[in-house]
Amino acid sequence: MIDIPMSDLLRNMYENSMEAIFFVNSEGEILHMNPAAENILDYDVIEQLHKGETISICSSCAGYTSEEAMISCVNCFLKNTKEDFSSFQVYLNTRGRGLVPYAASFHVIDEARGIRVFMLLNLTKQYRTQEMLYQTNMTKYVIKAQEDERKRISRELHDSVAQELLSSLVDLRVLKYMNADEVVLNKLQQTEASLTRLLDDIRRLAVELRPASLDDFGLEAAFRSHFKWLEKNYGLLIDFKAELSAARYSSEIETVVYRICQEAVLNALKYANTDEMLVRLFEEEGELQLIVQDEGSGFQLNAKDPRGTGLGLFGMRERAELVQGQLTILSEVGVGTTIHLRIPLSSNQGGGKQ
Amino acid sequence: MMRDEPNFDFQQAIDSLRERFDFDLVSIALVQSAADQFVLTWQYASGNLNERYKRIVLHSGKGIAGMVFKTGKPMMIQNIADELDPNDLFNYPIIVAEQLQAVCATPLWKESRVAGVLLVGFREANRLTASLLDDFRQYLDPSFGPYFTKELIEE
Repeated sequence: MIDIPMSDLLRNMYENSMEAIFFVNSEGEILHMNPAAENILDYDVIEQLHKGETISICSSCAGYTSEEAMISCVNCFLKNTKEDFSSFQVYLNTRGRGLVPYAASFHVIDEARGIRVFMLLNLTKQYRTQEMLYQTNMTKYVIKAQEDERKRISRELHDSVAQELLSSLVDLRVLKYMNADEVVLNKLQQTEASLTRLLDDIRRLAVELRPASLDDFGLEAAFRSHFKWLEKNYGLLIDFKAELSAARYSSEIETVVYRICQEAVLNALKYANTDEMLVRLFEEEGELQLIVQDEGSGFQLNAKDPRGTGLGLFGMRERAELVQGQLTILSEVGVGTTIHLRIPLSSNQGGGKQ
Repeated sequence: MMRDEPNFDFQQAIDSLRERFDFDLVSIALVQSAADQFVLTWQYASGNLNERYKRIVLHSGKGIAGMVFKTGKPMMIQNIADELDPNDLFNYPIIVAEQLQAVCATPLWKESRVAGVLLVGFREANRLTASLLDDFRQYLDPSFGPYFTKELIEE
């Protein structure tokens, strides 16, 4: 064994530890604390201590997490000798950082003199990590739930409502060949016209919710019909270059790419003052890439008051992150905007040709 | 009756309409035949800046023409900038593409159905004055080409 006296080791640990260590008496008054602990407490508390006043740890403590409440003083660990406080969570009022959660342990180390040690480890960072994880998962669930629901309604519209309407239309057309007089036939044609348009509206609704072609035939087919729809509805001309040769990806990736492209094109349509744009979909360097480019009016990327809700770009980033994708937005006023999405493809999830 | 006239020259009619009232744009959307699924599309235009809106298939209830088609009521916007939300403007492609600032759309009736929409517009706001609208209505009363401009006057 290396010959370092135990007392030195203990002293060094006490002085240099990241953990805040307090020695308190049976009343909870602070007898001694290490530098890490001094860094936590408010200056006026430290000052009072140096003046020799007795300060209870209670003055900085806001409570601990019990089974009943997040922050509670019921059954305070200082007084309670029956329960096990070898590991629990406590909230302290800290210097300049407000209320901070700590992982704490509280032991009696000297029964005769009633001396206990109270040790704290900052949990903020771990909490933030947990929160981020939670948020990402939550976003994933919300988006998935939304897509599933859209898919369900879309299928329902397409498979049952539209089908029923179509068979009624066929019935109606049959009437033409059954000796009806001119007035009836004329009326019939009008009804046929409005039913045909209604059928078209229902199909359009179904596709707008979620294109069946995305699930059945993949990105390229879904984009082609979406862009055709945009041309018919808004007169928008999209130069679409797909270099995927009908490759299919996981449904999650396909959804992300489709929705991001949809949003990007819609943004250009709304704000870019142009009726032409370029969309390129390709695979390169093990990544699935999407480029949406227009030569419209462009915008300032960090503008204080964006046009529209300003949530669109945020939502696009959020979706990209779901599949570890990267979204780059380049825009210059008067020059145009380019949106570049890159999604890494691991060997097992991409490129499978059907 | 005009509506029995088979070869009404729409182009010539809207050209002279534009000249007479000094409109910047006059356009007509008509319901297409069964072979084209009875869609409503812009067929004739006078004074148009480009061909963009001709690619558009109109939908009942959407946009100016769609609204007139659905309700059978004329629709007027005196000042686009004031009356339409700029964030919603993309839903009115003809206004965007033709840079219109004031528009008036009238339903065209045939056999008690709206069979088309006549749209007139200015690229300047507030040009649709009361006296101009009076003259315009009179000019269109009771029909435009083979179509009626009011409901319930047939047979």
